[in-house]
Amino acid sequence: MINAWWLSRLFICVFGMLLAGCTQKPLADRSLTFWCSNNAGEIAFAKEFVQQWQQLRPNKPLRYQPIPEGQSSEEIILASVVGKTTPDIYANMWQGSVEMYAKAGVLIPLDTLKGFWEFITARCDSAVIREITSSDGHIYQVPWKVNPIMLVCNTHTISALNGAKPPYTYAGYLDAGRQLSRDANGDGYVDQWLGYTEVKAIWYERLFNFYPLYLAASNGAPLIAPDATGDLHAAFNNRYAVDVFRFLQTLYKANYFARERLSATRDPFLAQRISTQFTGPWTVGFLEKFKDAGFDYDTYAMPVPNDHRGPVYTYGDPKNIVLFNTCRDPQAAWEFVKTLVDKPGDRRLMELTGQFPRRKNVDTDSYFASFLSKNPRLLPFARQTRYIKGVDNCEVIVDVFDIISQEYEACVLFNKKTPEAAIRDAARAVDVLLTSERANE
Amino acid sequence: MKKWMPYLLVSPYILHFAVFVAFPVVFSVILTFHSWNIISPMRYVGLANYEHVLKDRLFWQAVWNTLRFLLVHIPLQIVLALLLAELLNRTITGAAFFRAAFFLPVIVSGVVVTILWQQLLSFNSGILNRMLTAIALPRVAWLDDPAIAMYSIAAMATWKNVGLYVILFLVGLQSVPMQYYEAADIEGASSWQKFRYITLPMINPTIFTVVVLSTISGFSLFVEPYIMTQGGPMNTTLSAVMYIYRQAFQYYHMGYSATLGFCFALIILFVVIIQRRYVEQEL
Repeated sequence: MINAWWLSRLFICVFGMLLAGCTQKPLADRSLTFWCSNNAGEIAFAKEFVQQWQQLRPNKPLRYQPIPEGQSSEEIILASVVGKTTPDIYANMWQGSVEMYAKAGVLIPLDTLKGFWEFITARCDSAVIREITSSDGHIYQVPWKVNPIMLVCNTHTISALNGAKPPYTYAGYLDAGRQLSRDANGDGYVDQWLGYTEVKAIWYERLFNFYPLYLAASNGAPLIAPDATGDLHAAFNNRYAVDVFRFLQTLYKANYFARERLSATRDPFLAQRISTQFTGPWTVGFLEKFKDAGFDYDTYAMPVPNDHRGPVYTYGDPKNIVLFNTCRDPQAAWEFVKTLVDKPGDRRLMELTGQFPRRKNVDTDSYFASFLSKNPRLLPFARQTRYIKGVDNCEVIVDVFDIISQEYEACVLFNKKTPEAAIRDAARAVDVLLTSERANE
Repeated sequence: MKKWMPYLLVSPYILHFAVFVAFPVVFSVILTFHSWNIISPMRYVGLANYEHVLKDRLFWQAVWNTLRFLLVHIPLQIVLALLLAELLNRTITGAAFFRAAFFLPVIVSGVVVTILWQQLLSFNSGILNRMLTAIALPRVAWLDDPAIAMYSIAAMATWKNVGLYVILFLVGLQSVPMQYYEAADIEGASSWQKFRYITLPMINPTIFTVVVLSTISGFSLFVEPYIMTQGGPMNTTLSAVMYIYRQAFQYYHMGYSATLGFCFALIILFVVIIQRRYVEQEL
């Protein structure tokens, strides 16, 4: 029989060991932690800069760690915020998430740190500073890197077209579709298309089709904007959004874009089943690695309405750096971040990852010229960085994109609604959402 | 033995129950009256979440999608399982092989099966459409046509689970006393009459078990649409559980998601009560 005395002692020991496991290291020993993205280029970037920092500031220990594996980095960050296990510094934060974290009070307002304003005004223009400023007037993110969404075209097939050459207006692009889309194997189904863009009705897919086209058409107009009373409301019930929906709807209706999912097959652009794609600079490395001999491509701005005037904006897919409020030494963390985003840091980012810093004049600054001359395929993307936008500062921006996505599916893909009705309904739903958010505050 | 010893021995289960069952249930009830995005403090909103459920068109569409799935899935599953069990109950060559073959999909991971079916049903490269074109029939957008997608998922789910119910029916069929059939033979009853008046009433409890089990598994429909269609096209395959998941883990509307969960639990309870009464009356 088990002796109760021994049993109770055993229980106390086990419980004590578990408690001991939960204790933290003394704060003085704790090094700053930097979470980077987990792709090879960014890991190499993080390693290099952390080593440099250690040499310069041995009194401020800092270690890097690729963000733990998960379905998405957003999920991991959220879990770490909930578990209060956030890193001190996190690079690769999607700009759309920052407002939510800022309102939850888990981020450090960077504008309260010494030297931040001098840095931000030197690096970014006023439009970018406005874009990243939170609704409470503080700045919680360092604008770091961008990947502008552009139109990549198969040079061979596009050059063979009669008149329909890029850069495209909607009319020119549709004309290219009319000439290009066809049934190549004669089985009665179109199997060669002008393009393809993800048909899944998941909110973030709209960042790579509807949203860049909307920004291009509207010269970078917001989706959400404050009204006369200062309350946020839907600002996209306008002719630009309607025209984008109609343009995309026509592409699908006329079978110029593939409605079925092509993502499970060999890359359709490389397989020459599609001749154009909306994509970012990450594609260049992939295409260079896997393209067949004789395959060539070029990069252009997103298609715009026929009467478009002015520069062509696009979505920049910005990823930024934040400091969490669990950080014990924000000033030291900020000093480290500055080494990542000064000119040498930005150039190294380009060299190691093929991504662009979100700073002024990347395409003309002589400091970056040698990189761009060695990588001419990236030059159009570098030029595009002058005309990019992130997403609006809104706590429920994901819900907003989801609402648009639902209407996109009904109108663009399944032709169940007119573009006017779809955009109107989406704007109404967003207004209801924003009103209920205000009521809950 | 000391008086407190039994309590100490059951304490691990009590602890597990308290932490993983009782606490989440109570916490969920509390959550339904709050707005909470996990990282900000909870805000009391009274009955606002319940009001929102009533007006949430997408939730009711998801409930209807789930019921639509059940209306196809359950009858199909019962008929198919009963038919296969009846065949396997006879003395046929290779019966053991067929039993194993029908049961195999049940033990294979749902995710793996779903991905395989996604490939089979692909519009461009799926085997099913290749077979159709080989016999000069038009291709079908099995997963991309709003009118068809849910039925494709129901067919796939039936294929995946039917083996389990075949085994249950087989046990039920083998428990029917042979004397009834012998008596029916002497009276000159046809095969259909024997099935209708002997087999069906005798396996009534098995049928009820299968109906309840497949209803419960059908209401928890998630993996298949999550992987194959992400709830599309046009939300026609969005199941209620998937919508609840989406609200919680995609949009972090924890309070609202908990409210949806409770409302959906009430709907399930209502359906199961109706089903129980109906099945008991009919069989």
